Amino acid sequence: MAINNIFKNKSQNTEAEYGINRKKDVGFYIYSRILIILTIIIILVPILYIFSLSLRTKETVYQDFLFLIPKQVTFQNYIDAFEYASTRLNVSFFEMFRNSVIATFSSIFIAITIAALASFSFSNYKFKGKEFTFTVIIASFVIPAQVLLIPLFFILRNAGLINTYLAVIIPYVGFLIPIATLILRSFFEQIPKEIKESATIDGASDLRTFFQIVLPLSKPAIASCVILLFLETWNEFIFALVFLQNPKFQTIPVAIAKIAGGKYIVPIGTYGAAIMITIIPVLIIFIIFQRWFIAGMTMGAVKG
Amino acid sequence: MYKENSLKNYQEFWNKTGQPYAFLLPALFVFVFVVLSPVIMSLILSFYKFTGFDAHIFKEFIGFENFKILFRDKYFWISFKNTFYFVASSITIQILLSLVLAITIFFGRFKNSISIRTIIFFPAVLAPVSISLAWRRILEQDGLFNQILGIDYSWLASPMLAIWVVIFVSIWQWTGYNLVIFYAGLQTVDRTILEAADVDGASWWGKIIKIVIPSLKPTIILNIILNLIGSFRVFDIVYVLTRGGPVHQSEVFTTIMYYYSFSANGPNKMGVGSSIAFIMFAIMIVFGFIRIRLMKREEI
Repeated sequence: MAINNIFKNKSQNTEAEYGINRKKDVGFYIYSRILIILTIIIILVPILYIFSLSLRTKETVYQDFLFLIPKQVTFQNYIDAFEYASTRLNVSFFEMFRNSVIATFSSIFIAITIAALASFSFSNYKFKGKEFTFTVIIASFVIPAQVLLIPLFFILRNAGLINTYLAVIIPYVGFLIPIATLILRSFFEQIPKEIKESATIDGASDLRTFFQIVLPLSKPAIASCVILLFLETWNEFIFALVFLQNPKFQTIPVAIAKIAGGKYIVPIGTYGAAIMITIIPVLIIFIIFQRWFIAGMTMGAVKG
Repeated sequence: MYKENSLKNYQEFWNKTGQPYAFLLPALFVFVFVVLSPVIMSLILSFYKFTGFDAHIFKEFIGFENFKILFRDKYFWISFKNTFYFVASSITIQILLSLVLAITIFFGRFKNSISIRTIIFFPAVLAPVSISLAWRRILEQDGLFNQILGIDYSWLASPMLAIWVVIFVSIWQWTGYNLVIFYAGLQTVDRTILEAADVDGASWWGKIIKIVIPSLKPTIILNIILNLIGSFRVFDIVYVLTRGGPVHQSEVFTTIMYYYSFSANGPNKMGVGSSIAFIMFAIMIVFGFIRIRLMKREEI
């Protein structure tokens, strides 16, 4: 399956798809509507319910449990959640976001740079051990990351890096490179040879061809790549949990997971608001870039 | 003249042979130091006894003692069983569900097919931690789930059901992901064959079984591999929903490894944790070989 198919989805919306005839296949028509509506309810209700909890006052949080629209709307829970994070979790939401942004974007930037160089090598040259090296790098994708947890913990601790951003950036770069290489290599290979050759004839070095021809042409692949890697790192949990024990450095998932710890009792409304604060930014990014998300997330998969 | 020639040769040698490796160097460097050496180190460490506070971890070689401790631990076998349930459900129930949904949306001629897919896909972009926290609230005794069912049951505290509740939440989150991949596969199904079948008066069921499913075979295999890899290493959802509890009944490989190695109220036996990593690694290698064997058989 070519990567192109996913990009084509964008323009295919209007194209009439093969499917049922509404008048002839009444059974299928009814069945499909019921199934899809049911699925959408099952997907949306949990999120809407938590959102609804986050807007309720202390008095109404136990009332009208089944109704998604609260009788009285308040934003107090969000203020409480911010307060709760700074006092009880020892890390404010602002700091969590800052930590997540630093860890995520440094990892993505480093990983894509390294992976792009490697992919350029794989797609542009014939050399000894090429396919073997590629297979080995890609195969590391299959290794459960937790296998690396204990040795990396000691390596990083001896290097004095535990509780610094580098403690997570280093392993993240390690995991992201295989995924990025997989996507970028196949995309680079689709760039017509003639374009690269004409640059070489004009006297450009290979490195220059890479920066001035290959990279600009690969913007869509890199964009999808960024989104895929973003989700992998932004949502990553176990490495951040083990390597960032100092609350001041904790990323959103690690910091927020503590509200389920039960050390302090969190009011339901505050609990809901805290979850929504982690969901809303991703939701906004998702709505803006939704097609890229689907392309990015399926692309890594489809190529494998 | 001669000198110039050798310089030219050198230049050519560099272009043809040196450069490809030079471009690869950073990736290989990261691979060797961040992936390969830790993996080897992890395998070796499973034969040593050490804790998280030790400065020198390669001091006390104890042979297979860590594995013996593990095999005598009944909670390890529970984690084994639960990991198996997790993997098995994600490659059967979840695949089936997403396949049915993808085919339904594809043939259903929905006006806003894109929005439908986007909504079902949406949970896949959220952090498993956020989702687990949300579901924890819903599954609480005074939560939405019991309110709808009109009962009073503590789902996450049930030794029998806890792992299945976790699996349910995982399926809820990831079905949309499989669906989108299936949908991309459906768009490559040859429509002329379907139209020919229509002329012959084939039924929907017949078309789906005889044409659509066979041509989706590579996509099905792809989804199975993805779910296998993903569910085998699941940690966040279990950790946040149940912490492996009640009494270790919903433990999976990764959580019991975390318990042995890092948990504040665990035994702090990192050697045992390493031997769990060893077993996980070995199982993944076996899966890899099975996959290669299957691929070869298909070619013949």
